[in-house]
Amino acid sequence: MKLQAKDAGLLSTVAYTAGSLLAALIFLLATVLTGDYGWVSRIGGAVWIFALSMIILMPTVTPLVRGRLEPGYQPPPAEEHTRH
Amino acid sequence: MSEILIDAFKHHLWANLALLDACEGLSDQVLDASAVGTYGSIRDTLAHLFAAEQRYLLHMAGRGQETGPLAEGSFPGVEELKNHAARNGEALIGLAGEAREVCRPHLCLLRAGHQPCHRAPGARLHGAHPAGNRAAGARSLDLASERNAANVRGRPVTQAKERKELTLPVAGMTCAACVRRVEKALTSIPGVEGATVNLGAGKAGVTYDPRACGPDEMQKSIEEIGYQVPLASMELLVLGMTPGHCDIIIGGALRNMPGVKSVVINPATDTVSVQFLDSLVSGWKIKKTIRSLGYEVHDKGEGQDSADRERHLRSQEIRRQLTNLLIAWPLAAIVMLGTFSDYEPLNGIVPSFLGEKLVLFALTTPLVLGPGRQFFVHSWNGLRRGVTDMNLLYATGIGAAYLIAVINTFFPDAGFGGERATFYEAAALLVAFIVLGRYLEAVTRGRTSAAIRKLMDLQPKRARVLRDGVEHVLPADEVEPDDIIAVRPGESIAVDGVVLDGYSALDESMLTGESIHVEKKAGDAVTAGTINKTGAFTFRATRVGAETALAQIIKLVEDAQTTKAPIQALADRVAGHFILGVHALALAVFLFWFFAGYDLFFDASTRLLLTPYELKDLEVFGFALLVSVTVLVISCPCAVGLATPAAMMAGTGKAAEFGILFKGADAVEAAAGIQVVVLDKTGTLTKGEPSLTDVISGSGGDEELLHLAASVEARSEHPLGEAIVRGAAERGIQPAAVQVFNSIPGQGLEAEVDGRQVILGNQRLMEERGVNIRAFLDEAGRLEADGKSVVLLATGGSALGLLAVADTVKETSAEAVRELKQLGLEVAMITGDNRRTADAIAGRLGIERVLAEVLPGDKAAEVRRLQENGRRVAMVGDGVNDAPALAQADVGIAIGSGTDVAKEAGRVVLIRDDVLDVVAAVQVARQTIRLVKQNLLWAFGYNAAAIPLAAGVLYPFFSQIVSPELAALLMATSSFSVTMNTLRMRDYRPPVKRGPPSSSPEPARPQPAPALEAGG
Repeated sequence: MKLQAKDAGLLSTVAYTAGSLLAALIFLLATVLTGDYGWVSRIGGAVWIFALSMIILMPTVTPLVRGRLEPGYQPPPAEEHTRH
Repeated sequence: MSEILIDAFKHHLWANLALLDACEGLSDQVLDASAVGTYGSIRDTLAHLFAAEQRYLLHMAGRGQETGPLAEGSFPGVEELKNHAARNGEALIGLAGEAREVCRPHLCLLRAGHQPCHRAPGARLHGAHPAGNRAAGARSLDLASERNAANVRGRPVTQAKERKELTLPVAGMTCAACVRRVEKALTSIPGVEGATVNLGAGKAGVTYDPRACGPDEMQKSIEEIGYQVPLASMELLVLGMTPGHCDIIIGGALRNMPGVKSVVINPATDTVSVQFLDSLVSGWKIKKTIRSLGYEVHDKGEGQDSADRERHLRSQEIRRQLTNLLIAWPLAAIVMLGTFSDYEPLNGIVPSFLGEKLVLFALTTPLVLGPGRQFFVHSWNGLRRGVTDMNLLYATGIGAAYLIAVINTFFPDAGFGGERATFYEAAALLVAFIVLGRYLEAVTRGRTSAAIRKLMDLQPKRARVLRDGVEHVLPADEVEPDDIIAVRPGESIAVDGVVLDGYSALDESMLTGESIHVEKKAGDAVTAGTINKTGAFTFRATRVGAETALAQIIKLVEDAQTTKAPIQALADRVAGHFILGVHALALAVFLFWFFAGYDLFFDASTRLLLTPYELKDLEVFGFALLVSVTVLVISCPCAVGLATPAAMMAGTGKAAEFGILFKGADAVEAAAGIQVVVLDKTGTLTKGEPSLTDVISGSGGDEELLHLAASVEARSEHPLGEAIVRGAAERGIQPAAVQVFNSIPGQGLEAEVDGRQVILGNQRLMEERGVNIRAFLDEAGRLEADGKSVVLLATGGSALGLLAVADTVKETSAEAVRELKQLGLEVAMITGDNRRTADAIAGRLGIERVLAEVLPGDKAAEVRRLQENGRRVAMVGDGVNDAPALAQADVGIAIGSGTDVAKEAGRVVLIRDDVLDVVAAVQVARQTIRLVKQNLLWAFGYNAAAIPLAAGVLYPFFSQIVSPELAALLMATSSFSVTMNTLRMRDYRPPVKRGPPSSSPEPARPQPAPALEAGG
């Protein structure tokens, strides 16, 4: 199935959610492998990692995906405009 | 055979200049030579056309006639072009002369083999194409947007790209991230080429292609991300409506108007309510449209323009945050007291039940869900659309502290520090401090736009219009051009106009900064917003509504406030990326303390900085989370979004009070950084009008000499002659009739006056006619050395004397040069005069660097030469004649614009004709940029310094970590500092405006200066 411009929103949601879940999972695995942490710490930590990862990935992944799928899409300007 | 269709404006000289300017960058190659005929190039064709037009305008102005839309065939340029075209076997077929709402120069060429692409509505044909194949072909060049379009040769006809600018009010923004969100939303609309949002002004400036998108899309896009576009509203009493018919007609007409958002018609109550974007359509136009349909229209209420609406929204926001503040602070104080009720000195004073966890929970929960709710709602709205802002930092901080406290209250063994570490006070104080910051920011935004509001308040709401000899009190926006308006003492002038009869003195200080009242008599211009102080008079309206000088000034200042200085763009970029960076840092800090730091450094005696808390029960997750949350809270640069725009608004507003208009924040920054000021001589340093300075006569006496000279010169149109005639009239000498008159080019005049043969001219003429002028040679040499122009007069073969004419230096020029030097600036004078004359005037003014003998067209090149030496140059000159040099300079300062501010080319416009205002402009700009830098320091400084502390850098050494409430206190301090610092600008006066400097208590006396040669 070929992805189209209208799929950009869905695809970015899948991408950043999957990335955040992966980060939380890696954290969980790390707590299991590296030390004797309680389950509150493990789950609480994983939730916190997931939340922060979502916050970081949402605004970064969305323009990347839209840029690839929507030919006319312009990400927010890297430089601010000044009107003359 | 070719055809030419030129679609241009006929009665806007500035539009023509823009066209010519546009042509500068347009290669002549874009035209087929055969299409332009003998004029050879597009530029020549247009130059010819406009020269003819200017002659026409001057001609009409000289006859005291208005230059409205031209009747077919009345425009001399048409005939001339037609004749040229006919001689070359071509036909000029179209010349559209209608005024448009949007002045965009277009040039359309019709050629065989193409289709007509662009035809302005209302364009008229002025001639017939011999071949009768008018629609044979066309090519459209939008010169403004395709000035570098050399590659359009041979391209098939395409729609010219159009571009419009629009300023939209935006409400609900609170920080730099909001600015980026709105900009992002606007720029993602197809057709929007650029968007600049100003947080302080609450405005968005949008450049867009009107065929691809419009204000509706923009409004929708802004509202979709949670902000509002405040609309102006108007309620009208419309008489004569019939239900079921008239409401459809009126509704249809109004809804078709651009900018009208909603129309509600109630024929039963004769009411029409309209909501509209007043940046696109004015209330006056709406009423005029209804009137044109045959109905009588009156204002039903005061209505609410967007300024009122904006003011209402601002005060609503201030009230809302004040309410939050009044709820948050008492509750937070009680929570704080309850939390520390077991500690000295509060134990025994504070009831112990306040320290109960359930009581603290009961007190904190409404605080978090009440005043703190806004942060959760805003961050959720943002996250849903994939954007982050400051609210997210607040929400994360407050939410995490509150959640830890709730878990420790109900599940004390969960490992988050136990019941001794509930952090309710942290959540409560975070809310309280952040709400305090929000309140201060809301107040600052309201105050910084005070200058604009002050200007808007100058606009009178009503005017006494005389119609059919009866005085009607009408809303000011219903006054139409040519209406006669009566003004009584103490009343404000409603629209621009010309005094018909009566005499008075007007206070124009609000527009020009000039405190001395200006006398007005018949024929003098009056400006909307000024106040009539003494007499009563009537005047004829010339410019109304959005065309008045006051409206133009307001628009110019508003537009300036929607632009961004480079320093602000940098701050916004940093702030925009800062939030992501802070979350990444919080993640890294969490991982470090979770996996390594806690095991390595945790101490059971851990304390929160400046609190008696011991966190010995804190486990690894609770500790790492606490540090991570503190990093988030302490990093929040919430005051950054306001730091630069608030200072810029305060600065540009303050400048406007002194008649100094910056056309953008970039102009403020550039003006603050200039190193060299180049002053045009004529009209800038001098009055630009020559006057008679010396009369030296021989045996006949001064009176006879002047009488003869004035009689001869009365027939001359030379400025030198006009100065002599004026000088004679001032001395009560009237010219006599001249029988024979002959002009000798480059030398002088000869005429017969009262039967006497008179020769008037330079030395060469006298020598050629054998006149002995030896007696006057020394005086002539001395005067010429002073840079004056000398004219000798002889009759009957013997010299009677000489007259000297010179331009006059303005009273304040010398002082201004001195002040500019004191600011550390290099001052240069540029003029077309010869070196000797230029040096003479420069020497008097104390200017060492003189750029003499510079032709008007070469001034820009001289400015460029200075820039190539690495200097940042400001050029001060006339906004029209010196336009290229003003445009070339880093800052172009147009001086003495009067009230025609919109026509000026400079990025800085000085309403008054006073060089001291150049000094004031630099001083205001420097003060504004100083304020910006201080604000940025206050906004970033606390946070940047405290981030390492929050991340626990000192923890291994002192076993103390920063508490979230301390972080919130630092945050609020940033906002407070920015607010107080910005408000200092309210009382600022440029030093040069504070009174005469001690070094020169008396203003310099007027001095004569030369200016009759090439012109300065």
